[in-house]
Amino acid sequence: MALADFFISLLTFVTIYSLFGLGLNVKFGFTGLIDFGHVAYFMIGAYVTVFVAMPAGLSETYEGLTGLGLATAFAGVPGGDLLGWLVALVVGMAAAALVSLLVGIPTIRLREDYLAITALGIATILNAVFHNERWLFNGAFGIREVHEPLSGVFPIGTGSFQLNLLLFGLPSVAILGYAAYRTAKVVRPLGVRPALLGTGATLALAGSVVFVITTMTGLVVDLGVLALNVDNTIAFVLLVGSVVAGRAALTETDHIGALLALASALLFTLWYLGQPLVALVADGETADLLLNLFWLYDATAGSAGGLDYDRFFFLFTLAFLVGAYLWVERTVNSPYGRVLRAVREDESVPEALGKPTFRYKIQSLMFGSALAGAAGGLWAANIGFIDPTQFASTVTFFAYTAVIIGGTANNRGVVLGTAVFWVINSGTRFLDDFFPSEYAQQLAALRLILIGALLIVILYYRPEGMLGEQDYDINLGRGGASDD
Amino acid sequence: MTEIHNPILDVQGLEKHFGGITAIGGLDMRVGEGITGLIGPNGAGKTTFFNCVTGALTPDAGRVEFADGDITGKRPSAVAQEGLVRTFQIPRELPEMTVRENLQLAPRGQSGERLTQAWLRGDEFATDEVRVREKATEMAEFLEIDHVLDAKAGTLSGGQRKLLELARVLLTEPDMILLDEPLAGVNPTLEQKILDRIHDLESQGYSFLFIEHDIDVIMETCERVVVMHQGQVLTSGEPADVKSDDRVIEAYLGEEV
Repeated sequence: MALADFFISLLTFVTIYSLFGLGLNVKFGFTGLIDFGHVAYFMIGAYVTVFVAMPAGLSETYEGLTGLGLATAFAGVPGGDLLGWLVALVVGMAAAALVSLLVGIPTIRLREDYLAITALGIATILNAVFHNERWLFNGAFGIREVHEPLSGVFPIGTGSFQLNLLLFGLPSVAILGYAAYRTAKVVRPLGVRPALLGTGATLALAGSVVFVITTMTGLVVDLGVLALNVDNTIAFVLLVGSVVAGRAALTETDHIGALLALASALLFTLWYLGQPLVALVADGETADLLLNLFWLYDATAGSAGGLDYDRFFFLFTLAFLVGAYLWVERTVNSPYGRVLRAVREDESVPEALGKPTFRYKIQSLMFGSALAGAAGGLWAANIGFIDPTQFASTVTFFAYTAVIIGGTANNRGVVLGTAVFWVINSGTRFLDDFFPSEYAQQLAALRLILIGALLIVILYYRPEGMLGEQDYDINLGRGGASDD
Repeated sequence: MTEIHNPILDVQGLEKHFGGITAIGGLDMRVGEGITGLIGPNGAGKTTFFNCVTGALTPDAGRVEFADGDITGKRPSAVAQEGLVRTFQIPRELPEMTVRENLQLAPRGQSGERLTQAWLRGDEFATDEVRVREKATEMAEFLEIDHVLDAKAGTLSGGQRKLLELARVLLTEPDMILLDEPLAGVNPTLEQKILDRIHDLESQGYSFLFIEHDIDVIMETCERVVVMHQGQVLTSGEPADVKSDDRVIEAYLGEEV
């Protein structure tokens, strides 16, 4: 799999989990409801969307409830399967919201930690039901007949190689360029010296890792994953140099965020463009570099290349994420959102001022759950197969980790935190190739340890998360005066 | 004992027990217009009485009527919507929100506080929010906390928190306000400021029931005083009469003042 394909699948993951995280942020970040059962609504959204879209009699092995077949209900209309799927998704969201209402009515009066435990219990029970009741949604055997909207249409292209490249390649480069521009803006407040030190530290670290991986593979087999061979003087010197330069950079600037952004951007560039560049110089191999640069363009899709389904699906989920982001922003930047935050700060105050806080909490729970449901529907279509093990409680805690890392009560922070989480958890997976396969489990554990360490560092030094709570502004549009 | 003939707040036979302890034991109280003081020794049940009246606690027995409507056992938000609001003994600012947001939260009947309005943003939305912003700024000026409007409420001093607490309940435009020790821990200058404001507001038609321990403040401020003791009303009447009442002296004042 080319790096660009991996990049696309990682981005799709981040997008879906960001949508899931936005839902959690509505509950936890803006309303202060600790719902440890958030994954239940992800699961319900996934199952109900699949169930409503699924035509009957597709499979001999499916023994659950007969699907409603909305995917084929609008067969006569162009794009009818998308329409049917969208209706199914809305039903999935509504189902998630409805279940959260039923869960919320008895539990939401509970104090926050009791609510958390009760919600966790209910999510676990729901998962067990989905797992064991085969008549419902095929139990542990899962559902393979997941409808993927518009999958028959792709890959699409204009038929002309040059035109395809222009149409899909150009935006790819433009987006990379824009990302570089935004990163430069973030990095800018950094002084020259800290910036140079940070660059040096990052390059030295990357160099050290490359040395270890490329030269020490044999020894790693003998000594185990954690046994760095100190005899590799170059790697060791680079590592020490990296730590020294990194420390110096950290002490010389207050813009730690800018420093981290610089380091991440460098690492990404090295990984995404540096590697194929080395291949280009060494072997004259241009394919990977071009694939990575024109990441939205798939040369193997159709006769003259074009947009394949995976790339389309990423853009599709991105559209949902943008929509949900704007929707949540509109909700919190309003007097309604003000009451939600008041509930988070001290529920008795809005209550004493005449706001029926019970209603607000239930609505927030339902809204957040509906977003989780939408994420579930997209998840199912992306994976193409669902079973109850995909919806374990850890998914909830991954989302909490992502939200806390990025910034609680900050919608951009949710996306950032989710990206950081999944880059560490999945983005480092390509490193596995350099280690013997029997260490796969240890490496997976190591990733979680890394994320846990990051979480502890964040909670200790920056409990409000990387971005902190967002600012609020109620836009009154034309005719409205703004605050001072 | 003076009789209140047209009470705004009428409490009959109120009881509240915590386990075996009787916090309020069959209390009758009628509160009319103007400023009424509520005094009594610590543990007399004053705050529990507030909690029962405003719905924070559900009374075990009895009846609470406000402005001729039965509000017994209603939720605090419902009681507040009827026009009866309370402050908290320990100010409860919303620390991570600005003072401005703390104030803008308070006015009743904001259309933007409904989810559909927050999403659809009809015409009312902007008009209401402009009104709320103006009222919040005016109230901040009136209570002289306008210089900290954009500060997080968690950064305010103790006295400013008291003023914020008062400002918030006033912005709900209630008929009656229950003040739970609004002067506790407040310096004398600020104390006078708060009392002046309460008098201003009384002349604008607001009514107050006012828990306070300083008998001199009660004498100067209140037209009527209710004395609570061991979960019951010991006596009530004009401040001068109450002050010289033997039972009050014995239970609360301790000696002739």
